[in-house]
Amino acid sequence: MKMKNNSQGLPSRMPDNTAFRQQRLPAWSPYLTAWAVLPGFFTTGAFFLSMGILLILSAKSVKEIEITYTDICSDCSKLRENASNFYKECTCSVPFFIPEKMPNVENCAPFQRASNEIPIAPCGAIANSMFNDTILLSYYPNSTTRINVPLLSSEITWWTDKHVKFQNPESRNLSSAFAGTAKPLYWTKPVYQLDQENPENNGFLNNDFIVWMRVAALPTFKNLYRRIHRIGHFADGLPAGDYSFDISYNFPVTIFKGKKGVVLSTVTWSGGKSFFLGGAYTVTGAMTWLAAFSMTAIHLKLKKTISFQSLKLAKVKAKVERDKRRDVFRTSNTWVRTTGRDCRD
Amino acid sequence: MPLLKVPFRKQNEIGVCFRKEFVKGEDRESHNKDVVSYGISQKTWKDGKSGLPATRTLTRTRKEQERHLQANNKEFNEKFEYANNAIKTSKYNFFTFLPLNLFEQFQRIANAYFLFLLFLQFIPQIASLAWYTTVIPLALVLSMTGVKDAIDDMFRHKSDNQVNNRPVLVLVNGMVKEEKWMNIKVGDIIKLQNNSSVTADVLLLSSSEPCSLTYIETAELDGETNLKVKQALTVTSNLEDNLEKLTTFKGEVRCDPPNNRLDEFTGILIHEDEKYALNNENILLRGCTIRNTDWCYGLVVYAGHDSKLMQNSGKTVFKRTSIDHLMNILVFWIFLFLVGMCFILAVGHGIWQTQKGYYFQIYLPWEEGIDSVGVATFLTFWSYIIILNTVVPISLYVSVEIIRLGNSFYINWDRKMFCIPNNTPAQARTTTLNEELGQIQYVFSDKTGTLTQNIMIFNKCSINGRSYGDVYNMTGQKIEITEETEKVDFSYNKLADPKFSFYDNTLVEAVKKGDTMVHLFFLSLSLCHTVMSEEKVEGELVYQAQSPDEEALVTAARNFGFVFHSRTSETITVVELGIIKVYKLLAILDFDNVRKRMSVIVQTPEGKVVMFCKGADTIIWELLHSSCTPLQDVTMEHLDEFAGEGLRTLAVAFRELDEKVFQSWSRKHHEASTSLEDREEMLGLVYEEIEKDMMLIGATAIEDKLQDGVPETIATLIKANINMWVLTGDKQETAVNIGYSCNMLHDDMDEVFVIEAKSSSMVQQELRSARSKMKPGSLLRTDPVTALLAQSETEAFIMPEEVANGSYGLVIDGHSLAHALEENVELELLRTACMCKSVICCRVTPLQKAQVVELVRKYKPVVTLAIGDGANDVSMIKAAHIGVGISGQEGMQAMLASDFSFAQFRFLQRLLFVHGRWSYIRMCKFLRYFFYKNFTFTLVHFWYGFFSGFSAQTVYDEWFIALYNLTYTSLPVLAMSLFDQDVNDLWSLRFPELYEPGQYNLYFNKKEFVKSILHGIYSSFVLFFVTYGSTYNSVQSNGKNISDYQSFALIVQTSLLVLVTVQVGLETAYWTTVNQFFIWGSLTLYFSLMFLLYSDGLYLLLPHTFRFMGTARNTLILPQVWLTILLTVALCVLPVILYRFLRMEFWPTKVEKVLNKIRECMKNPVPPPTKTRLRRTSSRRSAYAFAHQSGFGALITSGKNVKSRAPFGFGDNYSSHK
Repeated sequence: MKMKNNSQGLPSRMPDNTAFRQQRLPAWSPYLTAWAVLPGFFTTGAFFLSMGILLILSAKSVKEIEITYTDICSDCSKLRENASNFYKECTCSVPFFIPEKMPNVENCAPFQRASNEIPIAPCGAIANSMFNDTILLSYYPNSTTRINVPLLSSEITWWTDKHVKFQNPESRNLSSAFAGTAKPLYWTKPVYQLDQENPENNGFLNNDFIVWMRVAALPTFKNLYRRIHRIGHFADGLPAGDYSFDISYNFPVTIFKGKKGVVLSTVTWSGGKSFFLGGAYTVTGAMTWLAAFSMTAIHLKLKKTISFQSLKLAKVKAKVERDKRRDVFRTSNTWVRTTGRDCRD
Repeated sequence: MPLLKVPFRKQNEIGVCFRKEFVKGEDRESHNKDVVSYGISQKTWKDGKSGLPATRTLTRTRKEQERHLQANNKEFNEKFEYANNAIKTSKYNFFTFLPLNLFEQFQRIANAYFLFLLFLQFIPQIASLAWYTTVIPLALVLSMTGVKDAIDDMFRHKSDNQVNNRPVLVLVNGMVKEEKWMNIKVGDIIKLQNNSSVTADVLLLSSSEPCSLTYIETAELDGETNLKVKQALTVTSNLEDNLEKLTTFKGEVRCDPPNNRLDEFTGILIHEDEKYALNNENILLRGCTIRNTDWCYGLVVYAGHDSKLMQNSGKTVFKRTSIDHLMNILVFWIFLFLVGMCFILAVGHGIWQTQKGYYFQIYLPWEEGIDSVGVATFLTFWSYIIILNTVVPISLYVSVEIIRLGNSFYINWDRKMFCIPNNTPAQARTTTLNEELGQIQYVFSDKTGTLTQNIMIFNKCSINGRSYGDVYNMTGQKIEITEETEKVDFSYNKLADPKFSFYDNTLVEAVKKGDTMVHLFFLSLSLCHTVMSEEKVEGELVYQAQSPDEEALVTAARNFGFVFHSRTSETITVVELGIIKVYKLLAILDFDNVRKRMSVIVQTPEGKVVMFCKGADTIIWELLHSSCTPLQDVTMEHLDEFAGEGLRTLAVAFRELDEKVFQSWSRKHHEASTSLEDREEMLGLVYEEIEKDMMLIGATAIEDKLQDGVPETIATLIKANINMWVLTGDKQETAVNIGYSCNMLHDDMDEVFVIEAKSSSMVQQELRSARSKMKPGSLLRTDPVTALLAQSETEAFIMPEEVANGSYGLVIDGHSLAHALEENVELELLRTACMCKSVICCRVTPLQKAQVVELVRKYKPVVTLAIGDGANDVSMIKAAHIGVGISGQEGMQAMLASDFSFAQFRFLQRLLFVHGRWSYIRMCKFLRYFFYKNFTFTLVHFWYGFFSGFSAQTVYDEWFIALYNLTYTSLPVLAMSLFDQDVNDLWSLRFPELYEPGQYNLYFNKKEFVKSILHGIYSSFVLFFVTYGSTYNSVQSNGKNISDYQSFALIVQTSLLVLVTVQVGLETAYWTTVNQFFIWGSLTLYFSLMFLLYSDGLYLLLPHTFRFMGTARNTLILPQVWLTILLTVALCVLPVILYRFLRMEFWPTKVEKVLNKIRECMKNPVPPPTKTRLRRTSSRRSAYAFAHQSGFGALITSGKNVKSRAPFGFGDNYSSHK
C-alpha cells in the first residue's frame, strides 16, 4: 500500500490503513449502567456480608487468654529498671484458670563491637534487645499436683528464615565457631548457649532468636513463643483447670513505659481472636447493600422520566423508518456517515 | 542615476571602528566549530525573542555595526568572519551530545530536584531510602528524553544537509563552477538560473533581461505569488555575462548589518572610486525564486544565518500548553504540601523522642551526631523529604511527553487527514501541544489559500441581456453541476486552455453563430486587462496576471476563441477565432481602489478607436449611456442572481470614440501624466472625462473557489462555540463575500457591523455604538464589565465573557484596525469583537494579524489557533497558542513555522474534534489518575509515621519504591492515555458540543486536582489502616507471626498495586487488547518480580540488598492477606462507583447527556438527522475583485522597453536612473 504510486508518479505518502494507526482497534467499552452497577453492588454486598459473618464466627471460636504480667510481676520490673541488676535472677509466678477445655491449636551500629573492640555476634540493636524472659506453663490437676505442660520451640519460625536466612558458621562445635566474638551487650548468655537443652537450637539457628529477628511492623506486636506438645494429659489440648505461668523476668519494659504479656490461644484458619476482618467485612457488606438499595430506589424513581424519553426516541425511530422507506439512498448514505464503518478505506 | 548623498564621514568612522573589532576576531579561527555553534543554539534556546540572529555574537566582542565586503576578494572578506552559507539548526554532534544533553536536562527543575534528592540520600544520617530508588527512575527518564532529543536532532541534521548540499553555480577564477550551497561565502559572485531559488541574499549585478531586470516570486517570504521586479544598477548591469569582467569586478559594498527587515536595505557600492546608492530594489533575498529570467549574476552580501530569511525564521518560540502551566502551579502546591507534611512528621518525631525515644535509648540509642531532640527532628525532616518525594513523580514528565508523542503520531497517521491530490499527510510538527487542540476557543484564519483555493473560475456571464452558464435538462429544469456534468468541448480551438471548463453549450453556439455582442464581450475581455503572456512552447500560452480574477477572465476569452496572444507597450495581439489581429494600444486607464474599474483604449485594425471598460457594476452603471437602461435592468437581475450564488461580478462596457475626441483627450492625458504635482488626482479627472456614455455589453461572474468542505467545517466550528475570525490581506468586499459564502456571515444575522474610520476616536465611537446595539446598557457605568474595566489595571486584566442579545458580525478594515489596536482602544475592540459571532478583518498586514491574536491572548484566558498558508501568516501562526499551516505546496513558510500542518482547511475539524478532543481527554485522565496513584502510594508513609515513632521508616520494600512508578504502574496508564476514546471519531464530529469541556478546562483543573488528592488521601488511609487492623494482634493460622514488618510491607504494597490497577481499569473506557495485556501484564509482572526479588538465590547473592527473602512465599499464601487486599480494594473502589453512578443519575453534565444519547443511538441505531445541504441565502452583491495594488498598466504603456523577444516588459519607472 505504501509504495503504491499515485497519479504524479511519486510514491504515495498515504498512511497505512491499520486499525492501530487509524485508532480503530477493536475494543470493549464498559460503561457504568444501572444494569451493571446494581447487581454488582448486591453481589458484592452479599459476599462481604457472608464473609464477614464467617470470619466473626471463626474468630469467636478461638479460645484466648491474655495475661499482661508487667504489673503482676512489679517487683521484678522494678528490679529490671536499674541496669546494674540485669544479672540478678527474678522469677515470678502467675496463676490463672482455664474455664473450659482448649482444643488444638543489619547495619549493626552501634551494636557492632563491644567496648573492647571485639565484634559482637549477633550484632545490631534488634539482636541486642532480644526478648529473654522464659515462661513455663504448669497445670494443677488438683491442688497438690503440678504438671509442667510440655512446650515445643520447634516450627515457630518461617521455614525460609530457619533454613535459608540464618546459618551458623561452619565449625565442629558452636563455641569454637563463635570464638573471638562477644555476646550482645544485654544478653546474659552467649549466642551458642541460648538453649542448653537442645544443642541444635543454638547459635543463629535458635528459634527464639529467629522469631525475634523477624522485626515487628507496629509498636504493639505478638510473637509466637511456644507450641503445646500434645502428649499425655495434653493430647487433646489443655484441659480446663488451674494453671500458672512461671516467668523468669529478664526483659525490662517499664523503663520506656512498655508492657509485656503472655497470650495463650487456640488458632483457626483465619488466625487468632481478631475480630477486625470479620467486623470490617460485615460492615462493608451491610453498607454495600444499603447503597445498593438506595441506588435502586433512586434509579427506579428517575426511570419514569427516562421511559418518557425513550418513548420520544421510539417516535423518532418510527419517523426515521418512514423516511428510510421514502428515501433509501439518503438514509443509507447517512448511515455510513454515522456508524463508523469507514466508507473511504 | 542620481548619486545618493551619504554622510560619508560617518560611514568611514564606522568602517574604521569595526575593522578593528574584526581583526580581533581573526585569531579565534581555531575555535572548535561545535563549541561555537553550541553557543548559538544555547543562545537561541534561552533568548526567545531575538531568534537565530545572535549567531556569531559570541565569537565577536561587539555586534556587527556595518557590513563591508568586496567582490572577488576572499582575503578581504575573510577578515570579518562573516557567516558562510551553511545553515545549522541542529544542536549536537556525536561527541557533544552526551554532556550537552545532560546539562540541558538538568536545567529542568524536576530533574534537578531528583539530583538533589540523590545527593541527600548519600548523607548517612538522612538516607531513608537506598540510592537505587532514585537512580533507577532518574536514569530511565534521562535516557528516554535523551533518545528523543537525539532522534529530533538527527532529523535536523538531515534537513540541514539537504539544504546545505543543494547545487549552485559560482564564479571561481573566471569560470562558472558548480558548488554546494554551504560553501558559498560573502563576496562570491553566483549565477542564478530561471526557476531556481536564490541561495543567499545577493546584490543583483546583471541579468539576461533588458535593463538587468529580474523577475522573482516571493511566495516563501511574504506569501504573495505575483511576480516582482528587481533591477541591477547600470554600472553593474554592464558586466552582463562577461565572465572576465565579472571576475575583475572589485566593487566594494558597505551596508546594514544583518537584520530581519525584508523590505529594507540600505548600502552603498563603491566601484572605481564612485559611490552608488543601493536599496531594496537591487537585492535578491534567499528564499525567492527566479522567474522569467534566463540567468542573472549576484554578489553575495548576507549568507546563511545572516540572510534575511533565516533572520526571520528563527524557531524560537517555545510554546507550552495551559496544562503545562497548570502542572507547574500544581507541582509547586505539591512541594508546599510535601514540606508541610514533612514538617508535621518531623515535629511528631520530636514529640516522640521526648516522650518515648528518650527512654527507649537502651534499645535504640540515638545515632552518632544526634545529641538532642532538635537535631533528630531536623534530620527527620530531610529523611521524610526523601521518602515522600514520590508525590512529585519523576515519571510524570516523561509519561506526559510519551503521551503527547503518541497522540502526535496518530495525527501523522490519520488517513482521513491525508490529501490524495497533493499526496500530503497531516503532520504534527510540534509534539508537545496536543491536548491544547482540545481546548480551542478562538480560530484565526487566513482567507486566500486557506478558506479559498485562490483559484478564480469564470463561471457565468450575462451578455446583452441573456444569461449563460447554467445547464438545463430536457424538461427545462436547472441541473446542479457536478463532476459528471458534460463539459463544453473546446477542441476546435487549438489555443484553448485545457484546464478551463464550462458547461453551457449555448454560449459556444452563440460564438460560432457570430453574435456580435458575444464577440464584443469576449474581445473586451481579451483586450481590457494587464495580463502578460508567455509562449514557452509553441501554442502553449502561459498568462502571468496580478490577480487571479483577471487571469480567469482572459482565459475564458481565450477558450471562447478570443486569444490574447502577446503584447508590447504599444500593441496587443489577439487571435480572434483563428485570425491574428493586432490592436494598437492607445491608453490604459488603470485600476485603483477608488475608481474600481479599468479601461483600455485601442485602435482596431480597422482603424476605429474603441474604449473597453470593466468594473464594479455600481460604478459602471453611473457611466452608461442612457440608451442602455432596458439592458441595464435585465443585467441587474442577472447580477443579483450571480451574487446570490456567491459569485464575484464585473460589468463590461465599451465606447466607440471619435478620432477627434480621442486626440484632444490624449493631449490632456499626456499633460496630466507628465505633471509633477498631483499627478494621481489629475489623471483621475482625465479618466473620468472619457469613461462616460458607455454601452453596456454584459457582466461576468467569477467563482472564488472555496476549498472543499469549508462552509461545513466552519458551521461545525461555530456549533462547538468556537469564535471564528478571518484575518485577510484581501479587500473588504472580497473578504465579506467569502464570509457569506462560507457561512460565517449570513442574512439571518441581526446586523453586520462595518468599522471604517479614519481616527482612533472615530473607531472607538463606531465600536461603542456597535456594542450598545448588541448589549444595550453596556456603555453605562452600571454595567459590571465596564465597572470592572474602570477599576482594574490594564496589565494582567482578564476580560470576562459577555453575551450579545443576538447574532452579529463584525467587519473591520486594516486602517481602522491599526487605530483599534492602539492602547486605549484595544479593549474596546476586544469587547465588541468578542461579542460578535464572527469577525472579519480585511486588508491587514502580517504584523496586525499577530497583534490581533496577541490581543485576544492577552486579555482572554482562552486557547487560540491560527491557521494560514502563506508567509504572511507566519507571525500569526507563531503568536497563537497553536499554529496550523496549510501545506501542499513545497517549502511553504507557514507550514515550516506551524505546529501542525495539513493540506485542507476542512481537516481542521478532525484535528480539533477528534485528535484534539481525544488528546485532551486522555491527558486529563492521565493526570488525574497519576496524581491519585502517587498520593495514594506516598501518603501511606505519613500514616505509618504515627506508628513508627516518625522515624522515616518506609512502609514498602525499597525495591517496590524503585519500581512502582516506572515498572508496575506505568504501562496500564500509558495504554489508557494512548488508546482511550469515549466515543469514536464519527460521533465526535457529529456532536461538536462534546468539545466543550476542553474549552472550559472541565476535565483537569485545580478542583479536579484537589479531588484526586482527596481521593488519594482516602485510599492511602484505607490501605494503611485496613492492613493495620487485620494484622494488629493477629496471628497466622499456625500461630506464627503475621504482623512482622516485612509481611506488613508486602500486604500494603500488594493491596496498593491491586487497587491502582483496578482503578485504572475503572478509568479505562476503551479496552483494547493492549490495555488488557498491560493491565494483566503489570499484575503478573508484579507478582513474579515479588517472588524473584524475594527469592533465596538473590538473597544469597546480595543479602543486604534483597532482605525480604521469603516474605512473598510465606505471606501470600495466607487467606487473611487476600481478604485484607480484597477489603481494601472494595473500600476504595465501591465509593467511587457509587459516586459516579449517583452523579450520572442526578447531575449529568451536558456532555454526559450527549454521551448517553450517543450510547442510546449506538444500541438502537437511529440515524441522526440527514445532513442539510448548506444553502447560501446571501442577497449580497460582491464587487469588483482585483488585486489590491494597481495593475501593471503604467509599466506597459510607459513603453521604453524595446526588447523584442521579451514576452512582456516593464517601463522605465524602474530605470529612472538612466
